[in-house]
Amino acid sequence: MKKTGIIITGIVLLLAAGGCDRYLNQYPHNAVPDDQVTYEHAQLLMNGIYNIAQYKPTFNGWALFDIIGSDLIRPGASGVNTPKLLVEMAIAPNQSIVTSPWNGFYAGMYQINRYISIIEGLPESPDKNEYLGVGHFFRGLYYYNIVARWRDVPIITGNETEEVGQTPEAQAWEFVVSELRKAVEYSADFTHKNLVSRQAAKALLARTYLAMGRKAEAAALAEELITDPDFALADFETIFRGGENKEEIFTFANLIHEGRVNMSSYYYTKESPVGGSYTFCPTQEAMDMFGPSDKRKDISVDVQSNNNVVNKYCSGDAGQDPLYMIRLAEMYLISAEGQGLQGGLDRLNELRKFRGLPAVSPADEEEFLDAVLEERRLELFGEGFRWFDLVRTGRYERKTGLGTKYTVLPIPARELTLNKKLKQHPLWDAASAMYQ
Amino acid sequence: MRPYLTATLCILAGMLSVLSLDAQEQTVTFPRESMKLRKVFEHIEAQSGYTVAYNEGLLNVEEKVSLPEKGSLDAVMASILDGTGMQAIFQGRMILIIMPVDAQKDLLDKMAKEEDDQFVNLLEEAIVVGYGTMPRREISSAISTYRTDERVEMTTQSPEGLLQGRIAGVYITGSSGTPGSRNRVSIRGIGSLTAGNEPLYVVDGVPISNTTGDAGGWGGEALNSLTDIHPDDIESIQVLKDAASAAIYGSRATNGVVLITTKSGQKGRPRVSADASMSLAYIPSLDKLAVADADLYLEVQNEAIDNYNRQTGASVAHMVNPYPDREQFSWVDLMFRTAVTWKANASISGGSDKSRYYISANARQNEGVVIGNRMDKFGVRANVATDIKKWLSAGINVSGTYTHNNRVPDGNMGTSILTHSLEHRPWDTPFRPDGSYTIKDVDLLHYNLLQAIREQKVYNRSYRMYGSGFLQFSIIDGLTFKTSVGGDFMYAEDHIYYSAKHMYGNSIGKLTDARKAYTSIIVDNILTYKHHAKCGLSFDVMLGHSFQKDASSTASQTGQGFPSEDFDVNSVAAEYLDVTTGLSSWALQSFLLRSTLNYRGKYLLTLSARADGSSKFAPEHRYGFFPSVSAGWKISEEDFWKDGRTDLKLRASYGTTGNQGGIGSYAYQALANGGYNYLNENGIALMTQGNRDLKWEKAHQYDIGMDLSLFSNSFKVTVDIFQKDTKDLLYNKPTSATTGFTMKTSNIGSIRNRGLEITLGGDLSYSDFRWTGDFNIAFVKNRLTSLTDDDDILTTDDYHALKVGEEVGSFYLIKMLGIYQTDEEVPETLYKEGVRAGDIRYEDVNRDGRIDTVNDSQFVGSANPLFTGGFSNTFKWRGLDLNIFLTFSYGNQLYQTWTGGLRLGNGQWPAQRSEALARWTGPGTSNTVPRAIYGMMWNSTLFKTTRYLHDASYLRCRSLSLGYSLPSGIMKKAGLESLRVYLQADNLFLISPYRYIDPEVNTSLDATRMGLDCMWTPQPRTFSLGMTLKF
Repeated sequence: MKKTGIIITGIVLLLAAGGCDRYLNQYPHNAVPDDQVTYEHAQLLMNGIYNIAQYKPTFNGWALFDIIGSDLIRPGASGVNTPKLLVEMAIAPNQSIVTSPWNGFYAGMYQINRYISIIEGLPESPDKNEYLGVGHFFRGLYYYNIVARWRDVPIITGNETEEVGQTPEAQAWEFVVSELRKAVEYSADFTHKNLVSRQAAKALLARTYLAMGRKAEAAALAEELITDPDFALADFETIFRGGENKEEIFTFANLIHEGRVNMSSYYYTKESPVGGSYTFCPTQEAMDMFGPSDKRKDISVDVQSNNNVVNKYCSGDAGQDPLYMIRLAEMYLISAEGQGLQGGLDRLNELRKFRGLPAVSPADEEEFLDAVLEERRLELFGEGFRWFDLVRTGRYERKTGLGTKYTVLPIPARELTLNKKLKQHPLWDAASAMYQ
Repeated sequence: MRPYLTATLCILAGMLSVLSLDAQEQTVTFPRESMKLRKVFEHIEAQSGYTVAYNEGLLNVEEKVSLPEKGSLDAVMASILDGTGMQAIFQGRMILIIMPVDAQKDLLDKMAKEEDDQFVNLLEEAIVVGYGTMPRREISSAISTYRTDERVEMTTQSPEGLLQGRIAGVYITGSSGTPGSRNRVSIRGIGSLTAGNEPLYVVDGVPISNTTGDAGGWGGEALNSLTDIHPDDIESIQVLKDAASAAIYGSRATNGVVLITTKSGQKGRPRVSADASMSLAYIPSLDKLAVADADLYLEVQNEAIDNYNRQTGASVAHMVNPYPDREQFSWVDLMFRTAVTWKANASISGGSDKSRYYISANARQNEGVVIGNRMDKFGVRANVATDIKKWLSAGINVSGTYTHNNRVPDGNMGTSILTHSLEHRPWDTPFRPDGSYTIKDVDLLHYNLLQAIREQKVYNRSYRMYGSGFLQFSIIDGLTFKTSVGGDFMYAEDHIYYSAKHMYGNSIGKLTDARKAYTSIIVDNILTYKHHAKCGLSFDVMLGHSFQKDASSTASQTGQGFPSEDFDVNSVAAEYLDVTTGLSSWALQSFLLRSTLNYRGKYLLTLSARADGSSKFAPEHRYGFFPSVSAGWKISEEDFWKDGRTDLKLRASYGTTGNQGGIGSYAYQALANGGYNYLNENGIALMTQGNRDLKWEKAHQYDIGMDLSLFSNSFKVTVDIFQKDTKDLLYNKPTSATTGFTMKTSNIGSIRNRGLEITLGGDLSYSDFRWTGDFNIAFVKNRLTSLTDDDDILTTDDYHALKVGEEVGSFYLIKMLGIYQTDEEVPETLYKEGVRAGDIRYEDVNRDGRIDTVNDSQFVGSANPLFTGGFSNTFKWRGLDLNIFLTFSYGNQLYQTWTGGLRLGNGQWPAQRSEALARWTGPGTSNTVPRAIYGMMWNSTLFKTTRYLHDASYLRCRSLSLGYSLPSGIMKKAGLESLRVYLQADNLFLISPYRYIDPEVNTSLDATRMGLDCMWTPQPRTFSLGMTLKF
């Protein structure tokens, strides 16, 4: 009997000591090791880049220029019932409205950079160009957003792990231009509004030139889009309610199960038939800015049980709305602004006529610029333009009564702590978010 | 306690019948004429090679006996035992000293007359040490034992809850008063930074997963899966505190090991124990949070507006009461109630010559203090063991639990009950005149909590089974081999249904159905050899191998759009918002070695080592080696020690332990994750950076201890001092977002914990009166000793930071110095920003005239207490017993994160009444509470400041119980063994400077996020009535 015991013991011990080591290699089921990813996965990676680019900046990232553009306030108990209070509350180095877009844009940027470096290893082919075009377009789109917000920023193109300092604003803008030029060069022609195209890259480049003050170049590119037969102005009812139209140049599909950024939830109220969490709402001034004949009014704003709401995104908590990145109407306005009163007024009035408004006749360039900016405000309300329009044209402080520091976002406090090479913008240096 | 004695006697008597009784002719000699009995046995052991086994409770071995110079072994034994009532039996190489059957009867009669647990000490305590047991006298490391006492713990829901205040150096804080909530447990300070700071729990040899008891679908508090270990089934809990005892659990033991032993059967007739009780619970001192009434509220709001208008030239209009006739409505009264809990459990235990069994069942229906909150729990357990052959025994321990928990919004949810009950205006009510719900933004400032609870159907169901089976072979004398297979299986289901009328119901109804299956399998093979050499040296060696694999599988779908509220399964949902599934696993392989040397009970030495390989680390860093050594010297065994009534043992130990908890299953791997789809086409993204350099976190711990027992165990003192250095701390280190990631799992630095633990025990009786007391106190000080990468200060969240030299758990905040009493006091730079008299004066650390988080934050206190402990007193007089149990903590601070009632005009939040009344209204009116000011966050939410940091020291009466056991004579006539009825009050009083309800809270198990009070449901005060019946 004892022998039996010894034999069993021996066998069990042998089994135990022997075969377990290989079980210490455990792998996930929803992922593959990073170093196994090669150019064979290019198509998969490209889809991943669209997904990442769409959701990483989050609502705060994409909606920021509206939130602090002085047309929105916070409803409810917060007491933040003027744009001035809203901006003072939202913009500080440790507020999530500042930190989450910073984190989001740079997290997306890492993906885009990795993507481009993998694609660059592909053998030459038309596919490769298309993949590259997507990469450079998103790199341009992201840095446009980063530079417009923070001005002097780290420009990262590889996968630097060491601390990276800031590139001066002017150089950073040049970098955006070079990326978008590559995107124009490599991208395929327009096939679908949800995909990156050569036209989308041109349109974004036009927007960038305008931001840099290179007005003629901006206008020239905008004109290329306006005259492109693929595109035509369309009614808000079709654009913002899911209709077929030729106005959208690039729009993130933003499907509900693909990392949707739910704009509508932030703007709609619980009282709407589709729900909403009602975080931001239009000021009374914004409600009243649309003239009676303006065909954009009903789609732009609405009233739900006495609550003013932004109405461009209508799915509430439950649904999905696209994320509009570039529309043809913006090209009309870029063209107008780029050409100035002489060449540009026609484009402005063309758009106004299409939207049901009478023509305007400004007396001078200043009045014309005011008219263009007002038209941008009406046309692009809720689409992420207003703050930067006011800032780049030097009108922000006058319009809002806020201090100059609010014309740039502070670098998040966390980043300053973690990256010693970063310097806070001088306007924010050791300043706190108080009245100024 | 009586069953043990009885059973042991029976076992010994049983053995008698099978023994061979050959006379022993061997002769022994003695150097002296008389010696202590203990010494005599040592001589016999040394000369004859026999081992003498006796029970110190039955035989006073400190008594001197006279001796012949020389004699045969059996004659000598008979001579020295003469008059003790004991006899010697020879078996194999053992001499058993037992009580003859007649004497047993006498003793049993005597017992029946006296109190049960006076006989606790009759049996020598066997201490569970991990992969085996050791007699208490052979222990040379720091192990604390808590034996359950049914008198005081009936309201405790989980095993770690039992330990609160019971063991020096074991610090436990509950997270909330919600049934099923988690406790934060730290043993000997902060051993790790991540959530892996929890100790390892081992139930009857099986490591139990303390993963959350829910499937992760709920946005509120996580559930405590340790509640599946039913406290009534627990016989004892051993806490392995120092590295020498814990090192045998190697890689998982850095934060201590909690060994739970469940009850087992003893030979004898079936014994039944049944207990039933009813409790009432409510939240005490809710009035501390009273909200300002309409008049005071408007006074503050309008004063704030006036201040703002005066200062900025604005003309914001005053606020008026839209319902001047309405009485103030109390949302707190609406949402909270007196909760009723019913509880019952019963067990049957017994055994025959060869088999032992213990079976039990329990049920509990536990209401929460928030309306709609209820946890129902049912459990069964069976522990069975049998001797199949002389050389083979087998056994199985298994426990099953079912839990149904109706949940209410808690934690930091937007509808979390307590905080949001305080954030409605005095005139806000839950219904409109037409009977429909009032809603946020239309009628109310915040969510209608009644609507939140009525329009939801949220429950967690969990099914848990864990246990183990073993086979034990006795191969040759002293050599045994034990093979065991253990398993821990959990299935949890979260059902979160919001109707179309619920604020989270997306107006069409929404259901999240999340499920989790967790399986853990462990296979242990242990070879043990014990040998007693003639020279008085005995040793045993244990060699083992262990393999564990844990796997978790999750699935969750969120559907929306339901035909009506009656439909609440996702198969009828109109569409799916989210479908996720997960599958992950990790594995651990370990090799174990332990050897104990014992020379004549005087000198003890234990060596142990464990090597662990974990799948969480890259192959090149996979294995960790964890050795330990401990030594003990029982001074009172030395010849020079004269005092037989005093025992003294000195201990010293050193060892290393490791940690791999708290990091992801694939932490070292850089991964390309799937699921990043676009336009319904598959996409992948490089979402996980991994860290191939990741290695074991290791703690090196020294411990010196002393066990002293005075006046024949009437007083006991245990003192330990320790130093624990944890190196290569695992942490999700914050990284600059420009790297693409905001954190990276890394080995970031080291911590040192030093501490002193004192445990005092007393046991005195006078006539029928008996007092027993246990007091423990522990002083632990931790500090961060290094940070790799030379980081100066690593901020871990908005409230805490790590810095070399500072405590882990330190608060890193802007310091409030007081209130500016006049405008002249305000520095010009701040005046320009709008700061005026009545606003808070913060310390400008870098003296640049401005206040900002980066440059002006400073270390201002710590969430760690200076000392903690507990004091339990039991008084008994005849059938009456009274127990009072106090726990205390001193020197810890708590940050109150809820600012709703403290904004004073910044926003429309109602004010906390006490705060509103204390506000600054002119020079000299307050130096602690600022003025009311509209539209300015300076005083409230702009910074994390010491305004919200409070002393959270406390002394709590954790329980007070009064019991009465009916006289045994009456019981005997009724055919019963005993009947006890009892009354118990839990959380009866609390003495604390903390100004909110409960200073003992935590929101995270993470050591770097301690000490935050987010005003989760506090611990209730509970009154219970119950009875325990035994027959």
